[in-house]
Amino acid sequence: MQLIMKYFYIILFVFSSLLSFGQTASQDSSKVYKKKVLEAVEVDFLMSFYSQRGQHSAVGGGIGSEKLTDNTPTLVVNIPLSDDNVLTIDAGISAYSSASSSNVNPFYTQPVKTQRGSTIIVQTGASQRGAANLETSAADDDVNDDDDMVAGPKPIGSPWYASSGASKSDALKSLNISYAHSSDDRNEIISVNAGVSKEYDYSSLSFGAAYTRLFNQQNTELSIKGAVYLDQWAVIYPTELNEYSLHGGDFLNSGYFSGVEIYDQDMNVTTDAYNPAAFSSMGNSNRNSYTASLGFSQILSRNLQISVFMDLIVQNGLLSTPYQRVYFKDRSNYFIGQSSDIAYYETTANDGVFHLADDVERLPGTRFKVPVGIRLNYYFNEIITFRGYYRYYKDDWGLESQTASIEMPIKVSQKFTFYPSYRYYIQTQADYFAPYNTHLSTEQYYTSDYDLSTFNSKSIGFGVSYTDIFTSFKIFKLGMKSIDLRYQNYQRSDGLKSNIISFGFSFVVDK
Amino acid sequence: MKTSFKKQGKQVVLTLWSGILLMLSGVLVSACAVVKPYQKVNLNDPDMKLSAHKTERFETNYQVYREGASGANGGQTGGGCGCN
Repeated sequence: MQLIMKYFYIILFVFSSLLSFGQTASQDSSKVYKKKVLEAVEVDFLMSFYSQRGQHSAVGGGIGSEKLTDNTPTLVVNIPLSDDNVLTIDAGISAYSSASSSNVNPFYTQPVKTQRGSTIIVQTGASQRGAANLETSAADDDVNDDDDMVAGPKPIGSPWYASSGASKSDALKSLNISYAHSSDDRNEIISVNAGVSKEYDYSSLSFGAAYTRLFNQQNTELSIKGAVYLDQWAVIYPTELNEYSLHGGDFLNSGYFSGVEIYDQDMNVTTDAYNPAAFSSMGNSNRNSYTASLGFSQILSRNLQISVFMDLIVQNGLLSTPYQRVYFKDRSNYFIGQSSDIAYYETTANDGVFHLADDVERLPGTRFKVPVGIRLNYYFNEIITFRGYYRYYKDDWGLESQTASIEMPIKVSQKFTFYPSYRYYIQTQADYFAPYNTHLSTEQYYTSDYDLSTFNSKSIGFGVSYTDIFTSFKIFKLGMKSIDLRYQNYQRSDGLKSNIISFGFSFVVDK
Repeated sequence: MKTSFKKQGKQVVLTLWSGILLMLSGVLVSACAVVKPYQKVNLNDPDMKLSAHKTERFETNYQVYREGASGANGGQTGGGCGCN
């Protein structure tokens, strides 16, 4: 919280300096007649509802439920500070619930009776400690007071079901502020931006600046942009590895695993065989990203325009996700839960056993990405427009991809537009990817995150837009300018499926 | 590690210059075609904007999370989130 306040004061200082600069600049140029860049304050309320399911959870080492829901209310306010200057405030929350993330600590017990006689789901002693590790707060000061619970049956867990662990849900809060200044002839735009975002285990501070120049009677536009993201992980490990890091070689007799039975692949109880020796704590919790972007737009005819843009992205620091498990095929397998489910581990029939990790994913400390994109828009006639997009992407982790999408806005009436769209994406896997339990312990880098695997995806959807340029519908001083609705269905070749519905309400504030 | 950074730095500079040259050549090529302001009625249609729709930002975010590639679409480039 202190860190966020510190960031907030820095951003406030930077923008108050810029505001005073902007006002001075506008006074200097007040004698020249010019149209305002933005006539009135505009307010956008945006919202999306996202749901996903899949069977390659990265937290489960490439296996398990990827069920996830996410809701994202967002508010964007554009404020004209003068004829030339616009301030934009963009604040949002992304509140998600994830089966995959919940399995950072997958263990729980079946329902048992408390001494008071009520039936409840009990987190195991192990799970309680795991949750405490995640929350780093008062260990037993929770709402569901479990002081009266009797010791339940042995803990179970499954990568195919969500656990009740603390990491099952979280909210990402973000705030971005940007300021843009246009020159008197409107051929130059300078903008700066800063932002902060925070979720339980990840925080970010970002800065950026951009310069845009229009030439050739505003037929040509060149832009250059730079951005820096200074991110930090609050490192969380899978419960079993966390215990190993806390108690070392004796961790089977103390702490989380004390008294818990561990099974080998043949369903035999073992005492001290599980030893994730490959695991060691991450040395660095920072992740820095530096982005340089170049853009070029050109009007080609009265009905056709194109833009080409390229980003150069350099990342360094902790680029792996510290709670994503990895299993080695040259190491013996050990499990906690119902031993009878070990034979069905890789199917959804497994509702009671969890494979203990050999390590977390390890990825190089640097990454260099180069995406190049092209957008081409063609105005067919008063009813139909064509919007095309293509992107080629390559990075030094061996991942290569291509993206193509088309959208064809159809004006159904003066106020309504229908937007059918289709997107196709294909990628080759990163050098460090291998599926569940197929990595070798001798490898330097490894991950079983299917987001880095070879796959293709198809996305099909539509949008509907209602526009009223006269803003005749009013809510207090807000005149409704437009309402947008979008729906997309996404299908990845590895089985991941998702749906997203987005809404946008745009208002203009009456003067 | 230092060598890796140097190599990466060279790569960045080389790619940056290639990009600048590509875009400048675009400017030169484009200099011959000029559409006057009063001829831009169709180009000023909101659907002709060379950027994504406002509500598309959420889809772009999920794509950044669920796919290995990012950037060159006006969305996130890999920083600011625990994504790839």
